[in-house]
Amino acid sequence: MKKLFLLLGIFSLSGAFTQDFLNSLSAQELFGSIEARHIGPALMSGRVSDIEGHPTDKNTIYIGTAGGGVWKSTDGGVMFSSIFDKYCQSIGTVKVDPNDPDRVVWVGTGETWTRNSTSIGDGIYKSEDGGSNWKKMGLEKSERISNIIINPKNSDELFVGVLGALWGDSEERGIYHTVDGGQTWKKIFYVNEKTGCSDLIVDPNDFNTMYASFWEFRRTAWSFSSGGNNSALYKTTDGGKTWNKIHTGFPEGKLGRIGVALAPSDSKIVYAVVESEKEENKGLYRSEDGGANWKHLNNDFDLTVRPFYFSRIVVDPKDPNVIVKAGLSGAISKDGGKTFKGLGFMHSDIHDIWFDIVDSDRMLVATDGGLYRSLNKCVTMERVENLPLSQYYHISMDNEEPYNIYGGLQDNGSWIGPSSSSAGIEARDWLSVGMGDGFRVFPHPTNSNIVYSEMQGAENVWRYNQETRQLKIVKPYPEDVDQKLRFNWNAALSTSIHFPDRLYLGSQFLHVSDDMGETWRIISPDLTTNDVAKLNQENSGGLSKDNSGAENHCTIFTVAESPLDKNVIWVGTDDGNIQVTKDGGKTWENVTAGFGGKLAPKNTWVYHIEADKFNKGTAWAVLDGHTRNDGKTYLIKTTDFGKTWELKVDSSVVGFARSFEQDNFNENLLFLGTELGLYVSINGGKSWLKFENNMPSVAIHYMEMHPKKHDLVMGTHGRGVIILDDISPIRQLLALDAKTDGINKELTFIPTPKYFMSDKSDFGNTSTETQFVGANPSEDARIIYFLKKRHTFGKMSMEIRDMNDQLVTTLGPEKKKGLNIVNWNYSMIAPKVAKGKTFDFGGFISPRVMAGKYKVVITKGKNEYQTEIEVAYPENSVFTAEDRKMQFETTMEIYNLSEDLAYLVHQMDYYLDLADGYLENKNYKKAVLPMVNKINALKKTLVITTGDNYVGAAEPQLREKISDLMSSVAGYFGRPGKNQLENLAGLKEAYSKADKDFKVILMKEVAKFVDFTQKDDPKKKFEAIQSKAEFLKK
Amino acid sequence: MKTLVVLSGIFMACFAYSQTADEIVANYLENIGGAENWKKVTSQKMQASVNVQGMKLPVVMVSFANGKSYSSFTLQGKTMVQQVFDGEKGYEMNFMTQKMEEIDAESVENLKRNKDDFPLPFLDYKEKGYTVEKLEDETVEGVDCFKIKFISGKKLNEGKEIDDVTYYYFDKENFIPIVVETTISMGPMAGKTAQTVFSDYDEVDGLYFPFSIKEKLKDGEGQGQTVTMEKIEINVEEDPALFDFTEYEKK
Repeated sequence: MKKLFLLLGIFSLSGAFTQDFLNSLSAQELFGSIEARHIGPALMSGRVSDIEGHPTDKNTIYIGTAGGGVWKSTDGGVMFSSIFDKYCQSIGTVKVDPNDPDRVVWVGTGETWTRNSTSIGDGIYKSEDGGSNWKKMGLEKSERISNIIINPKNSDELFVGVLGALWGDSEERGIYHTVDGGQTWKKIFYVNEKTGCSDLIVDPNDFNTMYASFWEFRRTAWSFSSGGNNSALYKTTDGGKTWNKIHTGFPEGKLGRIGVALAPSDSKIVYAVVESEKEENKGLYRSEDGGANWKHLNNDFDLTVRPFYFSRIVVDPKDPNVIVKAGLSGAISKDGGKTFKGLGFMHSDIHDIWFDIVDSDRMLVATDGGLYRSLNKCVTMERVENLPLSQYYHISMDNEEPYNIYGGLQDNGSWIGPSSSSAGIEARDWLSVGMGDGFRVFPHPTNSNIVYSEMQGAENVWRYNQETRQLKIVKPYPEDVDQKLRFNWNAALSTSIHFPDRLYLGSQFLHVSDDMGETWRIISPDLTTNDVAKLNQENSGGLSKDNSGAENHCTIFTVAESPLDKNVIWVGTDDGNIQVTKDGGKTWENVTAGFGGKLAPKNTWVYHIEADKFNKGTAWAVLDGHTRNDGKTYLIKTTDFGKTWELKVDSSVVGFARSFEQDNFNENLLFLGTELGLYVSINGGKSWLKFENNMPSVAIHYMEMHPKKHDLVMGTHGRGVIILDDISPIRQLLALDAKTDGINKELTFIPTPKYFMSDKSDFGNTSTETQFVGANPSEDARIIYFLKKRHTFGKMSMEIRDMNDQLVTTLGPEKKKGLNIVNWNYSMIAPKVAKGKTFDFGGFISPRVMAGKYKVVITKGKNEYQTEIEVAYPENSVFTAEDRKMQFETTMEIYNLSEDLAYLVHQMDYYLDLADGYLENKNYKKAVLPMVNKINALKKTLVITTGDNYVGAAEPQLREKISDLMSSVAGYFGRPGKNQLENLAGLKEAYSKADKDFKVILMKEVAKFVDFTQKDDPKKKFEAIQSKAEFLKK
Repeated sequence: MKTLVVLSGIFMACFAYSQTADEIVANYLENIGGAENWKKVTSQKMQASVNVQGMKLPVVMVSFANGKSYSSFTLQGKTMVQQVFDGEKGYEMNFMTQKMEEIDAESVENLKRNKDDFPLPFLDYKEKGYTVEKLEDETVEGVDCFKIKFISGKKLNEGKEIDDVTYYYFDKENFIPIVVETTISMGPMAGKTAQTVFSDYDEVDGLYFPFSIKEKLKDGEGQGQTVTMEKIEINVEEDPALFDFTEYEKK
């Protein structure tokens, strides 16, 4: 072992640290034990895009989601675990390899339900261990993968349908083929740069027969177009070599999106849902000859509604005439498509349906509000309650204790929920404060009873008083009847830092209200480009008109007041302008020229502006080019009120960005949220590190740091609210480095603030095991240190001691290379409890320490490191110092009483054990038994000597009575009750009596016994009894 | 001196070549005392303690080359058998009644299948039909590691035969495993990853053991549970009384 140490010593000497030491750290070293905390919510869940079953095991199910990755269930859809956290969270399709279904799973990223807020994929992935580990297998630029087909006889042969780019031309579309398990791909069928493969299915009886639908489609930020002359349905019967259109019976003219499915039980029967020019021939078509001829059956609403969102049809594996169509509510036909009825009640917007392979009455349905189960063919539905897939557009916070998080979600309204609750954050903790699609929600800055929320396109802006339950619509109206206000789908609503009753709302103008929305005035000219070519939303949609407000454009998208000057307001627009006023809106300066066309293409969406917290003329802007088919990351900074701008990201950051936050204390500590996760810079944007500790690669639409708690709170679009609790250790580390020229030591403690011990108690939560419960933040004290090297060899231990060096407790130290955090819950070591037949449950209680300073001692090999931490009682507590002193002293009296009794019983057991050695002795009865009887008679009044730990429990004895009092007194941090004190006095008396009685036994029966043993064998030596100090040693 | 020489050789090697899975395992076995020495181990006894916020729980774990194993814990001065397995049959303590109850058939079958894993699953892993595969390198505990997927046969999972898969993270500097991961395959946590973190390696009769073993969930809140070894002995005598189940079999 010595040699190993020597060797390690040699290696750790290399490389003296410089000021740049921190800049050289990896993400794992810098962030160490800081882990993201997921609080959901899951009660409204989020969009599920695809469901995939296992071909032979009905209980194994995978779901792909719009923004929350891939989840797996192995119990038939009761519990789900996230299995794709590291990778792109937008999922097009999941496919299980029929040749090796327990192991091999493929994921095609990029959701194919192409709504305005959909994200972008980054290729195809494969797992060979049922989803535990993944490897990217190419098709990086495919953006949206619609289907994967695997040869049921050869795992290396796959066909992949690629829908491709939504926001621009792309040649990476069509059908791809691999024969080497994804090492190389060949594009075997391609239509053009505007038309992608929207559905690809295979005949289960003949791998050479496939059907593929192609869709001509395009989105811009201001329009959507579905359909064209290139949309078509194709079939191959030679394994993809040749593809022929199969349109006999289809409508003439342009077609849109087509969904296709065949009946697994009779694969000649094929269904297609077709988007076409005329209302009368849209909808469901059926073929009974493998697609050679089609017959139009149905154009009911749910068969034709929003084809870009709902083009999926699924056939019961056992019955060719039972089919389900995705849709606003979804519909099921049991007569081969002639008639349909609605699915059971659930969240609207159905995207996929799964039938159990054994019992096809058992089904799963994917919706905008999560996943539903049905046991009766979708007559009644039950929601899966442990999928925290919520898709936030924005979040804000208040200053309550604990603080609350406000935000709006895609198709799921607006909500308020706490950052901490009694025993985790449950569904019941969330309050609905808005309808429709939810976006920006704010508490009134000085009265969080009042909440502002909005729905899409500011169709409604609400002011809600939670206390009085008064709800008022407070949106601004046009100033005259001819004026048309343009609000973004996600309209720029915000409160003010400087004026508590103020609201801002952006249309093309900036609206201001100084009386909580009662009266509005416009304080700017049109700040957008007002490009008429981008204002034709009424005609948007292509073959199916789709004017939902989602394409509103040339609008204000972000408004940022300077925290340093109430007259400085920055505005960013979705068409690429940044404008600033320095006089509270009297005059505006368009500062776009400093970056537009230079650092980013002109008209790139200004997604977020953050006025700098330290310098008045400084601002940061996040630009998002993805709706112009530009996936680059843009974070720009100005220090001169927008005259000049500089790019502050490099190629190490992946994914287009939407959100940004600057630390409240260290101006160089920056957080950037991209479509693929969280990035952190500790040097003002010179370099970035990806934060991955329990943080999925999820799109972060908005983030904000809590001013008091120093928590970074993120509104993700697919994984709900994720919090980095108290990021101050990173700040401290940076401050330490700057001060001390690096932390060139084996172990460096990071200073910590005073920790407050909570006095709160409760009875836990009400959730069942199938419901998601968000984690609470830790209330423990944190011991934080930086290790230059990971501790792997030799001992490392950690103790908390009082200031007199008496041991309070021991903790398990963390040993990572980098930043380590160890939690201490303020408890001391539990008292030693007397040994009995059964366990004494009250005896497991570890009392809490008193407020004050404590030493932390880490022993690492031969070195000892010490620091101090301070723990305190909460401010504004209901308890006085005197209450607390009395509580602690009483607790310790009971503690000591428990240990006194433990030692007393230990002595008794010692003599009983000795006596056992004389069981065979002929004088046992005379010389030994009297002692045994005396001791046992006393002992059974002190500890339980019979029964079990459940309903066979024996009557409590002195030990149990002491512990019972302990659990009453130690768990409440105020003054003990009068009865409790009286009870303690009684117990002490009982103990004293027992102690006296035992002393008498010692003098009489024990002394006689000892005499006898000496006479019996003068050479006999017993192992000495442990001293009390030795026995109680912790 | 041998350890030093071997280790420094490896350090150089690891900068010069990329390692195959087989080489990584071979280096690991060499660095923790050598495969030949490990093969001489007939039993190991570990005395350890688990720290449950403020309470130290002493535990004893003994396992034998013949597949037998035994574990006990001491709570409030009372020592109780937690689990005992004689290679064919096993018993676990019911905490309520403090009586031993027979372990369910599937778990016993899995215990039987793990017999070959004593004292190290990697010893002669090829002969045992186990496989290793090198995955992409990863950083864990701030340390650059080789990641090895290790399949040690099959296990039963709710009646279904599945691969017994473990992922090992070997520190690139010294080929010592610092983290091991498994995917939980049963119950409400199925699909989540359980992590075991090793540290405080120390020598026992020329063999190296981790004296600190922490169990936790990979992605999740909470700091996990640490088992700290106080004493490890090898080649201890078997106490036949421990494996006498007559008392337990009395219903």
